[in-house]
Amino acid sequence: MQGLKQPPWLKKRICLDEGFGFTRSVLREFALNTVCQSARCPNIFDCFSRKRATFLILGGTCTRGCAFCCVKKGLPGPVDTDEPGRVASAASMLGLDHAVITSVTRDDLADGGSLQFARTVDAVRKRCKAGTAVEVLVPDFGGSKKNITNVVRSGPDILGHNVETVPRLYKKTRPRSHYRRSLDLLKSAKEMKADLITKSAVMLGLGETDEEIIYVMRDLRDAGCDDFVMGQYLRPSLEQAGVTSFVGPEKFLELKKIALSLGFRRVQSGPFARSSYS
Amino acid sequence: MVEVKLPPLSEDTTMATITLWHYTEGDTVRRDDDLVEFVTDKATFNLPSPATGRVKKVLFNEGETVSVGDTIALIE
Repeated sequence: MQGLKQPPWLKKRICLDEGFGFTRSVLREFALNTVCQSARCPNIFDCFSRKRATFLILGGTCTRGCAFCCVKKGLPGPVDTDEPGRVASAASMLGLDHAVITSVTRDDLADGGSLQFARTVDAVRKRCKAGTAVEVLVPDFGGSKKNITNVVRSGPDILGHNVETVPRLYKKTRPRSHYRRSLDLLKSAKEMKADLITKSAVMLGLGETDEEIIYVMRDLRDAGCDDFVMGQYLRPSLEQAGVTSFVGPEKFLELKKIALSLGFRRVQSGPFARSSYS
Repeated sequence: MVEVKLPPLSEDTTMATITLWHYTEGDTVRRDDDLVEFVTDKATFNLPSPATGRVKKVLFNEGETVSVGDTIALIE
């Protein structure tokens, strides 16, 4: 399966309770994708049973080819104009107090999908109860400041953009992405709106060193990034990159302490930590 | 008789390998006790028992690969 034997701390409990069933039925009713399902996230049982999900907008086909991701790659279809309303309806029906919206990368669109993000944030704000937090986890929009502005102006509470790994591994795992472009996106978002909480995440176990992770932490702090997440890379299938190492809970804790000492507001660090998991 | 089935784990994960039965034939198990552990490409999962009763039959052994929807045990 993974190549390396899975360590004992990488165990999840399946929970198929009413909450799980309800969440799945709501997503089906509104014909919505989630990254939970598309990326085979092992937290799905935990999240769905608590009626939490991360909506995946702009279709289920991505225009990038990151080596660690099992989301379908290719040429996507047209933007679904009804999608923002359906996301809002689902979020409302689930009673979400924190809605997370992410997407595939849409290099085929002039706006990179940023206007769909903005429409979705707006729809969720209007449909959900007052005080619902809205978090977006965005692609790099090809580095376009205009596109990131579209999202920032829609007023999310948290803007996340994951650097995913260390610069040295970009060529191997993210050949069509650019590390500096990702940092610039986070920095620009913060400059546009100082009280916007920004967030990024990396996966451990792709061959990075501790020093490289700390280097990334410093870069993110220089970009004004508030929150940071470190989780274990888990190979979704044999078609994705292999796991180089399984990082133990003690190491995650050690790195968390370093991250907090560098000034991050909030750090999630653990084998199953994910940008959109809480 | 309650059939214990391998549930759908994700959109396109169709198989898993059983690594550990926490209970064997003849054991009494309570609803929600961890019954069986299995591994997929992504992680190791524990499946809780859907019922309280006696494990009448284990249909797949440790090390065997099962498909989503397969009945893997019977509880009476």
